[in-house]
Amino acid sequence: MGLREDILSHPVSELDLREILTLSPDDTVQAAVRLMRLKRLGCVMVVDEQGKPLGKFTEHRLLVKLVEDSQALIRPLKEVMVTDWAEVKLNDPIAKVLDAMQNHGMRFVIVLDDDGKAIALTGQRGMMEYIADHFPRQVKVHMIDDAKLYMDQREGA
Amino acid sequence: MRRKRRKSTEGSFSDPLSDYSTPEFDDSLEEALCDNDMTVMDLTPMVTVNLETTVAKTMQILAEAGVACALVIDDEQKLHGVFTERDVLDKVAEQYFMVKDLPVRVVMTHEPVCVYDMDMPAKALNLMATGNFRHVPVLDADDKLVGVLGPRRVTGFLSKHTTS
Repeated sequence: MGLREDILSHPVSELDLREILTLSPDDTVQAAVRLMRLKRLGCVMVVDEQGKPLGKFTEHRLLVKLVEDSQALIRPLKEVMVTDWAEVKLNDPIAKVLDAMQNHGMRFVIVLDDDGKAIALTGQRGMMEYIADHFPRQVKVHMIDDAKLYMDQREGA
Repeated sequence: MRRKRRKSTEGSFSDPLSDYSTPEFDDSLEEALCDNDMTVMDLTPMVTVNLETTVAKTMQILAEAGVACALVIDDEQKLHGVFTERDVLDKVAEQYFMVKDLPVRVVMTHEPVCVYDMDMPAKALNLMATGNFRHVPVLDADDKLVGVLGPRRVTGFLSKHTTS
């Protein structure tokens, strides 16, 4: 099968899934910044005491809030989070992740298990790695060309 | 890559440059990624700022444009770096008052890895995956800035070729 067929038929579980970072609504933006930097991930889910998602806070939201309010770092997440997000199930085809990112304009998608429990995050990075696996030759080309693709002068005399 | 070419017998060397057969692709998406150059993807519009633009102003431009990456150029339009949401997270947020009035060149990511407009899209996607780059500037043969490839544009391209 080709890449298109794989995307339409392979389940989301074949993507690189990331751990969901969670904080409470009363935690501050600064706590979210520190957690996102520590875990190298651009999204934190805001959950209640039972672990139920209430919203999310992303790098993009951080940029927008800092522009609006220079004191944004001390605000609680419940004041700055966004309350919509996209979800897919572990057994959904990978195409559904693409669809969620494209139609909702989101970089991150929450992955649910069969019981509807949020178990992981995936998104743009997971998709890129999945696609890159189909084109290993292009990776090798990049590794040896050292980002300098063209010679400044012709070789030889 | 899944190009269907002649298989070499085990243990013997086959010079890949001696294979002149026309590549065949498993489906239209693989063909779109490997048999085109970068110009088939949406590379514009792009947000550019000068090296001396302040960090606060650059962030404001990004927020108003609703984009995640500014290309940082000099007066001759030469690309020197990129400033992205990740730079805001890593280098700006926790010291906002110290850096907001500095020129963006201080906190930008210097010398970003670029692709050329005649490269195939598969190469750009591989760069994004292996280097973990979210935004890859695209240059022409004269090193002039042509555009930028970001996650939203990649998703749009993949969606178009997966659903069609």
